[in-house]
Amino acid sequence: MRSGWIERLGRLLPEEIGRDLFQPALADLHYELARRRGRAISRLSRLRLRLWFGASALWLLADCVRLMSIDRLSRRFTAPPSPMQAPRKEWLTMFAIDLRHALRLFQREPAFSASVVLTLALGIGANTALFALVQAVLLRPLPYADGDRLVLVKHRDVRSGLSKQDIAIGDFVDLKARQQSFEAFAGYSGFQAPLVGAGEPLRVQGATFTPEAFGVLGLQPAMGRTFQAADAIEGAAPVVIVSYELWRTTLGSDPLILSRSIQLGTTRRLVVGVAPPGFHFPPGAPTDVIVPAMVPATAPAVRSAGWIYAIARLKAGVPLARAEADVAAISEQFEHEFPQQNQGSRYYAETLRDGLVGDTRRPLLMLLASAGFVLLIACVNVGNLLLARSLARQAEMAMRLALGAGRWRLVAQTLTEGLVLALAGGAVGVLVAWQTAPTLASLMPQPSRIPGLDRVDLNPAVLAFSLGASIVAAMVFSLVACLGLMRESARDALQVQRRTTMTGGARRAASLLVAAEIALAVVLLIGAGLTLRSFASLIAVDPGFTADGVLTVQFGLPVGRYTDQPARTAAYRQMFDTLAQLPEVETVGAAAVTPLTGNNWTAPLVRPEHPLAAGQRPPEVGWQAASGGYFRALQIPLRDGRLFDARDSGAAPPVVIVSDSIAERYFPGENPVGKRIQLGESTAEIVGRVGDIRRASLSDAPRADLYFPFERQNGNGITLFIRTTGDPLLAFPAIRAAVRQVEPNALLFEARTLSDIAAQSAAASRLAMRLLGGFALIALALAGVGIYGVMSYSVRRRTRELGTRLALGASRRDIVWLVMRQAGIIAGAGLVAGTVAGLAAARALSSMLYGVPPWDPPALLAAGAVLTVTALAASYFPARRASRVDPAMTLASE
Amino acid sequence: MPKRALPALTHLQYLVLGVLRSEEQPGRVLRQALASYGVRRSGPAFYQLMARMERARLVEGWYEQVTVGDQAVTERRYRITRDGTRQWSEAHAFYEELARLPARVRWSDA
Repeated sequence: MRSGWIERLGRLLPEEIGRDLFQPALADLHYELARRRGRAISRLSRLRLRLWFGASALWLLADCVRLMSIDRLSRRFTAPPSPMQAPRKEWLTMFAIDLRHALRLFQREPAFSASVVLTLALGIGANTALFALVQAVLLRPLPYADGDRLVLVKHRDVRSGLSKQDIAIGDFVDLKARQQSFEAFAGYSGFQAPLVGAGEPLRVQGATFTPEAFGVLGLQPAMGRTFQAADAIEGAAPVVIVSYELWRTTLGSDPLILSRSIQLGTTRRLVVGVAPPGFHFPPGAPTDVIVPAMVPATAPAVRSAGWIYAIARLKAGVPLARAEADVAAISEQFEHEFPQQNQGSRYYAETLRDGLVGDTRRPLLMLLASAGFVLLIACVNVGNLLLARSLARQAEMAMRLALGAGRWRLVAQTLTEGLVLALAGGAVGVLVAWQTAPTLASLMPQPSRIPGLDRVDLNPAVLAFSLGASIVAAMVFSLVACLGLMRESARDALQVQRRTTMTGGARRAASLLVAAEIALAVVLLIGAGLTLRSFASLIAVDPGFTADGVLTVQFGLPVGRYTDQPARTAAYRQMFDTLAQLPEVETVGAAAVTPLTGNNWTAPLVRPEHPLAAGQRPPEVGWQAASGGYFRALQIPLRDGRLFDARDSGAAPPVVIVSDSIAERYFPGENPVGKRIQLGESTAEIVGRVGDIRRASLSDAPRADLYFPFERQNGNGITLFIRTTGDPLLAFPAIRAAVRQVEPNALLFEARTLSDIAAQSAAASRLAMRLLGGFALIALALAGVGIYGVMSYSVRRRTRELGTRLALGASRRDIVWLVMRQAGIIAGAGLVAGTVAGLAAARALSSMLYGVPPWDPPALLAAGAVLTVTALAASYFPARRASRVDPAMTLASE
Repeated sequence: MPKRALPALTHLQYLVLGVLRSEEQPGRVLRQALASYGVRRSGPAFYQLMARMERARLVEGWYEQVTVGDQAVTERRYRITRDGTRQWSEAHAFYEELARLPARVRWSDA
């Protein structure tokens, strides 16, 4: 295992520190490495061992520097000043001198400084912007007291792999009673309802809370009280807690609000409290009103008679793992005791933050890592630029060495110059981040559902990160630039000043760095290629319906007027007929679930002729209530039978429609139309078979879906699906006017096109593609500049050799080939290393890819091809310049 | 009362010399010995201590090649010097003397 680099770095230390501290400690590290190496058999363990050694060696070096500083400081305060030594204020004085020198240099070479600052600004800006997102979403405390102890309890169906948050009320009651890990266990859910008062009814977002939820969330009302157990039992007087914002606006800051009632939907509720300002649950979602959730004290006989979400607060000192084990054990008890409901169902606990952040954590961290790559590439490039600039400053450095400056002094000077450049780059980077961070936040999928995305800003923590990134960047590229200084003695330096070239070591280091830069660029290119291909696959997916030209509108009938099913059905039918008359409207339908919005509602499917064995839980299939017009509006193909129509409403026998997957899975070799399925105690006839659709998301495999007639299962609120003849959004005013003609008090809101919803379903993939693509382009450009720089200096260094070759009869094409071959070797090395690293990195991406394997050959080949073309183009210009060398002049000048 | 003097050794030096009294040891073993008394020092910090002890001629250090598995590596070994042995003995005598003192000592005639 080669570790020459650490010895070389160790030479930067003063001789005494290197000899007394660094060398023996490094020897011990080598001893430990040799001991562990005998046990590291697999490739992975050897890689880990290398990483461990590298990190330990760097730590050792840093510790030596720390001890050296302490030693010097203590000598400064204890030892009398020696006339032979420089005054001990030298650190500060020297730093001030170096700083002044660096600032002068910064001004003296504005073009060089600008290129370095801009390169760094790209890297630091990208990192700062992404860190602002990561900090807002993953690191900032949740807006609840001790929010890290809040957990959600969910369950996963091992047969379908679907996770659900809604818990059957029986399970909720027993979970609450049997758990040992939580100090409070509460239930909640969400709802929308019209707030009826003077004027237009107002649609409000509400939450139902069990009384324990206030303790779980640490919620103290601004006025009044929270719910008591007596508020949450059947028959209790209806009460409500209103949000502070609703109280201040709609309710006019009424000082006597606690003695007033409000009409919420069909129920009049007494206001018993006002929530504190800014309270939302879940965070980000509006919570205008809170009403008590009615949960029985003991589990009902029909355990799935209702559902609720569960949230709990961990007991102090109890880790999540113990809570998970606790919940899993209860889950097993349920499976044993209530197999018909719980067979194959596993309860689990996850932190509230994880539940809210969902799948966003991984892409965020992956993008932050990609931005880190860009910064690393930028650092290598800047390091190479500084290394190249040291050519012009060799005379100065040689003179300093000759006059007695140690290597450490020169390194300190280079570090200070780097620090000035990096801080300038960091300052511009912060400006870049200030502009881009909010845009990035808005590009995130479903930004309103992710906590913290509405508060992305450049706060002190983000600025500290930016400062840290700048300092680390300065260290990295200054160390690169220091490579040229490490082996030079004063005598060597004074000799080389006549050659105005890099030393061999510095040149090799520069080539190696460019190869590393190319490797990093290849990794990003592979990532970008994979996400591009994944996105292309995703948007090419046939969702099973036609989203173009469909408008979706949330629709609500006025409260209290349509209290029974026939009245609602008649109203809806009249509405559909009126809308269908509009010239802008082609077809009108309605359904309970909007496709591609992540909905996982299911229903059990049992065939009466194949009854389940005792204790067996029936398979679950997707649940949807839809009108016949829904299938026509979305152009879901009818394979057999018929769609729902007026025959299916009222007292007609129950009917259902099944999707292709149900037919194939549960009626193999049979025609399901005309067959029956079990619906509770009765049965329903299958009247039609339709095509499968992607219900939850585009990347979700088509599921088996069971459709119930909307005519029999409609409530006061539904979603309208309207296929229009032109632009769907332009048709909305006419639609609203037509609806108001039929029912002036109807609520119409959230008009969106189905295409927009489909696009949102691919938003995560699109964001990853855009950002990785952007990073890859920056990396490619920087790698191109790196190759160009190294080849340009190589050509300058070899001018005499090239002139001699031309004089001896080499053709200009030979010279071009000679130079480009050198570039090819560097690029080839980088390409191979980058491909290997890219394949490893792609595995981390695999969960974000759709329809593309991490080793996707087109993505790998494209990355290689793009990089090769860039390397060839970047090396062609120096090669052409080399071929134009005038042999006579070159030889004469030598 | 005869004039007494505190030992010149620090606790750490006393501990290191105590370990080295019986036989020479590699630095990493000495570090482990210190760690067993709860003194956890980084490699460089430990060798800084040893370098100071070398400069004070309490110990002698040298590199020696050893084989670990199939690899030859070097390690720094230390042995106690005559000065080191003397100072350790003085310190030891001091502590022993202290230990022999009665529980209540009259330090003053006042």
